[in-house]
Amino acid sequence: MTREQPTSAPMKHLPLAHMVLLLGLAILLALPLLSGGNDYILQVFTHALLLAILALAWNILAISGSISLGHAAFFGVGAYTSGLLSLESGVSPWATIPLAGFAAAVIALGVWLFCRRLRGAYFALATLAFVEIPRVLTDNWDGLTRGSLGLVGLPGLPALRFGSHYFDIGASSVGSYYFVLVYGLLLLAIVTLILRSNLGLALQAIREEETAAASLGIQVQGYRLLALLLSASLSGITGACYAHLVRYIEPGMVYGLHFSATPVIFAICGGRFTIVGPALAALLLYPLDQFVFHPLLPAGHEFLYGAVIILAILFLPSGFWGQLRKGQFVSIKTGSIE
Amino acid sequence: MSLLRLEALSKRFGEHWALKEIDFDLEEGEIVGLVGPNGAGKTTLFNLITGRHKPSSGRVWFEGKDITFYRPHEIQRYGISRTFQSSRPFARMRVLENVVVGRIFSGKFHLFPHTEDTNMARQLLELVGLAHKEDALAGELTLSERRRLDLARALATEPKLLLLDEVVAGFSPLAVKQAAELVQRARERGVTLFIVDHFMSLSLTVSDRLLALDHGEKIAEGKPQEVMRNRKVIRAYLGTRHDDEAQSAER
Amino acid sequence: MWTTVLVSGITLGSFYTLVALGFALIFGVTHTFNLAHGELIVFAGYVAYWMWKTYGVSLLLTFPAAILATLVLCLILQRLFSRLREPMEMNSIVLSFGLAILLQNGMLFFFSGDYRLIRVPLLNQRIHLPGLSLSYGQFTLLTISLLVLALTYVLLHHTYLGKALRATIQDRESAALAGINVRGMGILAFAIGAVLIGLAGPLFGSIHYLYPTAGLQATLIAVTITIFAGVGQIRTLILGGWILGFAESCTVVLLGASWRELVSAIMLLTLLALRPHGILGREEQ
Repeated sequence: MTREQPTSAPMKHLPLAHMVLLLGLAILLALPLLSGGNDYILQVFTHALLLAILALAWNILAISGSISLGHAAFFGVGAYTSGLLSLESGVSPWATIPLAGFAAAVIALGVWLFCRRLRGAYFALATLAFVEIPRVLTDNWDGLTRGSLGLVGLPGLPALRFGSHYFDIGASSVGSYYFVLVYGLLLLAIVTLILRSNLGLALQAIREEETAAASLGIQVQGYRLLALLLSASLSGITGACYAHLVRYIEPGMVYGLHFSATPVIFAICGGRFTIVGPALAALLLYPLDQFVFHPLLPAGHEFLYGAVIILAILFLPSGFWGQLRKGQFVSIKTGSIE
Repeated sequence: MSLLRLEALSKRFGEHWALKEIDFDLEEGEIVGLVGPNGAGKTTLFNLITGRHKPSSGRVWFEGKDITFYRPHEIQRYGISRTFQSSRPFARMRVLENVVVGRIFSGKFHLFPHTEDTNMARQLLELVGLAHKEDALAGELTLSERRRLDLARALATEPKLLLLDEVVAGFSPLAVKQAAELVQRARERGVTLFIVDHFMSLSLTVSDRLLALDHGEKIAEGKPQEVMRNRKVIRAYLGTRHDDEAQSAER
Repeated sequence: MWTTVLVSGITLGSFYTLVALGFALIFGVTHTFNLAHGELIVFAGYVAYWMWKTYGVSLLLTFPAAILATLVLCLILQRLFSRLREPMEMNSIVLSFGLAILLQNGMLFFFSGDYRLIRVPLLNQRIHLPGLSLSYGQFTLLTISLLVLALTYVLLHHTYLGKALRATIQDRESAALAGINVRGMGILAFAIGAVLIGLAGPLFGSIHYLYPTAGLQATLIAVTITIFAGVGQIRTLILGGWILGFAESCTVVLLGASWRELVSAIMLLTLLALRPHGILGREEQ
């Protein structure tokens, strides 16, 4: 394929990709109507969106070159922080959710303490081990966390009032769905801004060639820590949202493999070098799992995730969206932003 | 005051001395070639200057400041940039982005890439002859293109001193000639250059002076023609027998 | 009380070394991490359980079946790994991560999430010696583990194949230049690993409950001990296993059984923090 004018060539690929995304967005926006009042469909997609958001947050760290296999540590800490705070003190979840993000960031500092000199496979192994710490602590510290019984009866997300308008969030499936959708779009915007900025360029440079990045003036460790803190706090906030949406959490679930493995799988299958890839994979695979495989195999339907990641790493390591957008990876627009 | 001063620089790795008491002054605007056989300590010297390793003893002065123990990213802020022996492009980023990364920490820090930065990046790509590959992934470039990208990327930082490590290794004579032109153009931009060149195909043509190392020691310094005739240098590269032949030829 | 801890530490530790040995061998030879290691052990345990439960086979006779089944899986895994590109370490982690999920769900499907145990009443009986007492289960664990470790040692140090394996572990390139079939060594490593896993599984299933997600702990233990020992000797692996076993036993006595899982995690994190270049870093000096 010849490129005469570098700036205009990428445009040839963009329309198709953008159309696909816009179509997807339209479907998501209209889902409550399309589902015809089927609450189950809405709930599945609400959870899919949560997983998509977690995958996007996870990917911020991956962009800097660190693959985390224990992101549930941040998710779970966020869930428990917000859950406990709102349960014990009666403070509104809207206030405790940001605090959950902060708590997760503190946990991330703990990770940094052990892992800052680790790269690649050893970093991944360390995160695999690290998630055990908050999990076992939460499981055993009955006095603080109610132990393995979990937290029951968490307050739902209160309705939002704008003047005379009243939006049900936690109390209705539709409200919850739109809340998570809006949160997801917000996070997507944040991730896009980060990745198209100089911060994003620096993080990618670190991922590609750390030594060369340092020789160009990039403070490698500082930026890696920043990526970790951002990724962790956003994951924590997502965990908190989860807690108040399902209103029941227990250590095995929020610190479990489901929330540690799915971001990895979605990001890699979708495309960890793209912006939207992880979210797309989540929105396709999770509903596939729930609507198709779960009825067929009530026990063991999650084999799907194992299967797709194996296929991806062998045949499509840049993910399906990454492959589609090959050459159009996360990048600055050649026209640049003022 | 010289731009770069190396004062009794030494580096030891365990039992092995990679560099012994290197003294050298590099003046602004010069192109100096760092020559010597394999294992002479050339890359180690670069690593000491740029902060990748700490010297076992000795000091590095840049523009009068002691930069001996500064870390690589700090060194860059002072105006020293380098390329690496094995080319290290940011493979999964586009060529243009590779160069723009060099702009991030030069001059004022902006949150987003500014037009001036992308324009300068484009300019540099033109300088090195990669303008037509702006959108390609850096990982897809040929060896010669990668080294040119390394050069453009390093130049993007607008360094005062540029260290080029084996930038023409594996190049055809024509490519070396083109590289020599690029080096001259870099000098015209006001960059002082310190070039490591094992086979000397580049250094002999562009350098004002040469610094020759062997087994970590300085064995010669001066104009290229003089250094090339220096007996120690010949011995280092070709072995004693050739030196004897040269000696008898002189008589 | 401390004798109990000591006995427990050594028996558990020896078993942990058995668990880790297969993992370490595979990593040493192929530079790949098999995160499904624990799940394979649990799988072998389930195979043994199934034979015992469905056909009334005694525990001892379940070993061959378990080993065979594990061999098949491990050789499939080796084929998959051989298709991976660099960086091998990271890619193998992701692939085996996926395999672990597959295995977990497979076991969930076939055996449900209920806790299973191969009941061998003899194992619960205690042996009373002057100064200490241990159960037959612990005794079996200890003897079989040490026996297998000794056999593996003999294999590695006193056979030609073992020499070739060790050469490959030390330096793959030089080994290839010396005429060793490095690829074959990889397959061999997986095969030996499979045997070790196949032995560990039924043992595990007789002293510990089997459930689909039991594998993670075993994997963590294997990784911890392997990183402790570096690409070293079986001796060091045993030392690492005993330290871990002892630490866990102490923790159980002092804090309670539910804290046990934290020990290997903390030990691994500490090891990695102290040795950021991992297993091979030291060799590069």
